[in-house]
Amino acid sequence: MGCDCGDCEEMMQPYLDKVLSYEQMREAQEHLERCPPCEKRYRFEEDLRRYVRVAVEEPMSDGLKEKLAGLRSAD
Amino acid sequence: MSEGAPTAAETRRIAEEARDRVRFEEEALALSDQVYRVARRLVNSREEAEDLVQDTYARAFRSWQQYTPGTNLRAWLLRILTNLNIDRGRRQQRSPDIQPLEEGDYFLYNRLESTNPDENPDEERVLERLSQNAVVEALAEVPHDFRDVLVLVDIGEFSYAEAAQILDIPVGTVMSRLHRGRRILKQQLAEKAVSA
Repeated sequence: MGCDCGDCEEMMQPYLDKVLSYEQMREAQEHLERCPPCEKRYRFEEDLRRYVRVAVEEPMSDGLKEKLAGLRSAD
Repeated sequence: MSEGAPTAAETRRIAEEARDRVRFEEEALALSDQVYRVARRLVNSREEAEDLVQDTYARAFRSWQQYTPGTNLRAWLLRILTNLNIDRGRRQQRSPDIQPLEEGDYFLYNRLESTNPDENPDEERVLERLSQNAVVEALAEVPHDFRDVLVLVDIGEFSYAEAAQILDIPVGTVMSRLHRGRRILKQQLAEKAVSA
C-alpha cells in the first residue's frame, strides 16, 4: 500500500465526518500531505459516499404524494 | 346569551389551532421526498417504503400537537418512521452476526486497485466499476441495525446526534454502528465489483 499507517485508516471516518479534535485534525492533514497513498484513499472514500448517496436515489411516486396529501385534515 | 355559545377568545383559539395544524401539515408534506428517500433504503421494496411513509404521515397528522414548533421536523418524522418500522416486527428477521472477518476502511479501494493493476487507478475510474445496482444491492445486504444508522447519516444526512435521537440509542452506539456499517457496505461492494 506504500504506507503502513494503520492509524491513518482508523482516522479516516472520523476525519471525513469532521468529528476529530482540532489537534487530531491537524495531525491527519499533515500526514495526508506527506502520504499520497493515504490521501488517495481518503479522496476515494469521500467520492464513494457521494456516489452511494446518488446511486440509491429513487424518486417518490406521484401516487404516494397524492395519498399523503389526502391524509391532511383540511381540504 | 346562551350558556353553550363559544366566547370570542375560544373562537379565536380554535381558528389559531386550525391554522397551526394546516401549517404543520404543509411543512411535513414539503419534507416527504426526504422522508421517502430514507424510508426506501431502510426497507427492501418500494411497496414497503410507500406503506411505511403513509403510516408515518397518518400518525404524524394525528399527533401533530406533540411536535414542538421550531425543532427539527424532519428528525421528528423519521423518529415516527423508524419506530413504526421496528414495531412491524422487522427485528424478528434479525440477521445473524455478519462474517467474523471484517476488513478495514481501505479494503474496497485496495481491492479495486489490485484487480486492475495495469491502470493507474484514479478515483473516478475506480468508482465507475461499481454499478448503481451493485450499490443498491450492497446496501440492502447490510444488517438492519447497522443499515438504520448508515442510511440516516450517509443517505439522510443527519448528524450523529440526530441519528441517536431518532433511533433512541447513545451517540457512541451511532458511531460504532456507522463505522462498522460502512465497512460492511464496502465489503459487499468489493464482492460485487470483483464478481461483476
